[in-house]
Amino acid sequence: MSRMKTTETPQPMMPPAAAPELPAPPAMEGPIFHFNRDRDAIVDEVVSRELARVGGSVDALELVLNDAAYSELTRLEKAGGRPGPDLQFWRELHRTLGGKPVAEKEALYRRLATGYARDIVGNFDLKAYRFATSVVPMGLSLIMRPQGTSRRFVNMNSTLTERIRVQGHLSTLQALARKGTVILVPTHSSNLDSIVIGWAIHHLGLPPFTYGAGKNLFTNPILSYFMRNLGAYRVDRRLTHGLYKDVLKTYSTVLLERGYHSLFFPGGGRCRSGAIEQKLKLGLLGTGLSAYINNLQRGKDDPNVYIVPCTLNYPLVLEAATLIDDQLQQVGRSRYIIEDDEFSHATLVGRFIKQVLSMDVSVVIQVGEPLDPFGNRVGPDGRSYDKRGREIDLRKYVEVHGVPQHQAQRDQQYTKELGAAIADAYKRNNVILPSHLVAFTLFQILKRRHPKRDLFKLLRLTPEDSAVALSEFYQQLDVLRQELLMMSEQGRIMVSGVVRKGPAEAITANALRSFGMFHALPPLSRNDGELSAGDMKLLLFYQNRLSGYGLEALFAEEVQA
Amino acid sequence: MTVLEATGRPRVGVVGGGSWGTVLAHLAASNGFPVTLWMRDDEAVAALNATRRNAKYLPDLDLHPGLTATTDLASLGTHCGVILVVVPSHALRETMAVLGDTLDGSHILIHAIKGIEPDSFMRMSQILLEETCCKKVGVLSGPNLAKEVALGHPSATVIASGYQEVISAGSEILRSKAFRVYGNPDVVGTEIGGSLKNIMAIASGMADGLGFGDNTKALLLTRGLAEIMRLGVGFGADPMTFSGLSGIGDLMATCFSPLSRNYQVGNRLAKGESLEAIQADMRQVAEGVRTTRTVARYARTNGIYMPITEGIYRIVYEGATPKEALSGLLDVSRNPYEGDAAKRAAGVP
Repeated sequence: MSRMKTTETPQPMMPPAAAPELPAPPAMEGPIFHFNRDRDAIVDEVVSRELARVGGSVDALELVLNDAAYSELTRLEKAGGRPGPDLQFWRELHRTLGGKPVAEKEALYRRLATGYARDIVGNFDLKAYRFATSVVPMGLSLIMRPQGTSRRFVNMNSTLTERIRVQGHLSTLQALARKGTVILVPTHSSNLDSIVIGWAIHHLGLPPFTYGAGKNLFTNPILSYFMRNLGAYRVDRRLTHGLYKDVLKTYSTVLLERGYHSLFFPGGGRCRSGAIEQKLKLGLLGTGLSAYINNLQRGKDDPNVYIVPCTLNYPLVLEAATLIDDQLQQVGRSRYIIEDDEFSHATLVGRFIKQVLSMDVSVVIQVGEPLDPFGNRVGPDGRSYDKRGREIDLRKYVEVHGVPQHQAQRDQQYTKELGAAIADAYKRNNVILPSHLVAFTLFQILKRRHPKRDLFKLLRLTPEDSAVALSEFYQQLDVLRQELLMMSEQGRIMVSGVVRKGPAEAITANALRSFGMFHALPPLSRNDGELSAGDMKLLLFYQNRLSGYGLEALFAEEVQA
Repeated sequence: MTVLEATGRPRVGVVGGGSWGTVLAHLAASNGFPVTLWMRDDEAVAALNATRRNAKYLPDLDLHPGLTATTDLASLGTHCGVILVVVPSHALRETMAVLGDTLDGSHILIHAIKGIEPDSFMRMSQILLEETCCKKVGVLSGPNLAKEVALGHPSATVIASGYQEVISAGSEILRSKAFRVYGNPDVVGTEIGGSLKNIMAIASGMADGLGFGDNTKALLLTRGLAEIMRLGVGFGADPMTFSGLSGIGDLMATCFSPLSRNYQVGNRLAKGESLEAIQADMRQVAEGVRTTRTVARYARTNGIYMPITEGIYRIVYEGATPKEALSGLLDVSRNPYEGDAAKRAAGVP
């Protein structure tokens, strides 16, 4: 399930001059540019597929309707307040469903599926797109010009090109977007992700990608206008019943089959802990395989669906404080939607963007090696290869008696393999920035110093309890840095330029600078030859980016001076 | 036959002609499946095809005529849709590197190997996934002493795979009135249970060799299972798997049976023989010896409390005497829970 949230347009920036290492951007084309023409056909297709799936069987029809009624009644009754028309509708349905003839049940199903599909379906407006890519950046450039520049108009794109580094398998991504349908699956840590990714997609000369955004983000009329007109579709996360979820998945499948490049955030919501995501949601991810099999069955010329993992690496995360708070409250529990966080405050967002743009550090988007729907590696030629470099005939995975077929249990398992491959790619493409390295080092030193404290007691350390001599700190950081450099050589992780170059002093200074820019109480600070923790929860958040690699073991013993 | 039809290939392949591989090939052939059994040794293949016996490992079993032996590994994939892999754990990678050239995504691979790769700590199914393009992979494991299955004694086994298709295929090919096949989606738990019980079998043989009684054995079994579970759950296994056939079931069979190779190793070590001497006159590998080293080292590095494994490791590799190492298990000065408690306390994300 995509848990995309955005309060901005996905394509707010002007197309930049192509970066030198990139081939010339391909001509901007893709089905999304005639989305409006195909809208009704898409909705019809979704509904007729859903009907074909359950329509034939009275039992299936009744089960699915009853399940929806039960789930909606529970939700609406729990919500309290005055009973609205929705509640009455479902009560009525629940009461009368059993006695209705099949044809009526089918009609009811069609009505509901159509309603949901219409609610979900996106829109694309060329005017809005042109507006977003030309006028909006000019406006933004006025607000966000780097500090200290006196020019009224700065070149927005050159600023963004410096501040957002897009690197990795870029030309492969561009090539695959022409050979088949691409699903981009980024890590998700901030509501800024969609803006940053949208810019990167445009920067690479690719057409806009369609994606699902939480319905709660469509309440602001201006944002809603842009999201609705730039290919975003609406996901109502309150609806948890099968009927709605199936319509949503089928909608995604139909778009992929029609060649719409898509954006999924498989981590679910924004990552609460700050760690690189390892538990992924597979529901929407599986639509890639469904689309592939449907394409094969139809004999489509370019049936392939390519899944491209990428990581977003921020030196600072706007919502860090709220996210880690939520994580700590909910450890081990299901996540809930935070409605009011830093992102609801326009001034805070503005300040954050301004800070990020004026920093001498960059957000890094690392595009990983593409995968097929089964989790195999895909080369720049669009072909799949196994781990020993043999080319794979993908059809064989889905053929039964020589014919491509869907098999729910098998396909679910294939998607699990894909999920594992994406999680692995996230780990390998995690780019360690100075802020992560510095936070991890300090946190681990403190953990070692207070072995009796559990996590929650550790978080209550005062700055006085947490002072570490710089000399000790630098030594520890260097041990960790050496390990990271070795791991990056083996392809197990990545490090930013500053981390690679060193020395420890420069890395620490860089991290202190970026932390100090935005967080009112920064996670750590330096004075008198000592480093001490400030906001321990933020420190935990940033240090978590390095968890899951077993690096804690490096701090088992103190480094001898 | 529906399974093979779906794969579009007419035969079942068995890779490895040790006692268990031969019995599995015989079971499949007895169910009417044409079977190709791959063996490394030219002479053994010729002898088997001529005499219908596996003279080295199962001299008394008359093999079903539907079974043909071959030394041609590379082309096995072209005519076998389902392949059972039963080679020693250390030979799996090289074997699959060759076999993998003729496999595609439609092949079903089921291994019946008990072991964990040293250093990488990879399970056998992970090696299958790494060395081939196949995804439909599973493991067969259970209390199956090859000789007893060959004699037709009522037995049962587990096939674990994420793919229902793999479980159905393995079951269709192998099940019989005397041999039941159960399915389980938990590959990790099945593989860990099957591999680690070999360590406990060594311990159990040792206890007998030292003349300890049933109390000691019950202690080894239950606490042994606890430490197998502790490791398995850490890798994402379902704890319930360990209470089934491939967990406690397999553990009981190996720990009680003098037929088990690992039990024999423990028993003879306890009587003062050297590991080299024991290994020199055993025809087949006792996987438990290697597994002990792999697991004990892993447990040490990762701070997992596994006292029995640790004890066996000290005997086999560090020259401790069986008596002192096994008695160490009863050392009351060590709180048996402190290992777990330490892990819980360290539960910082």
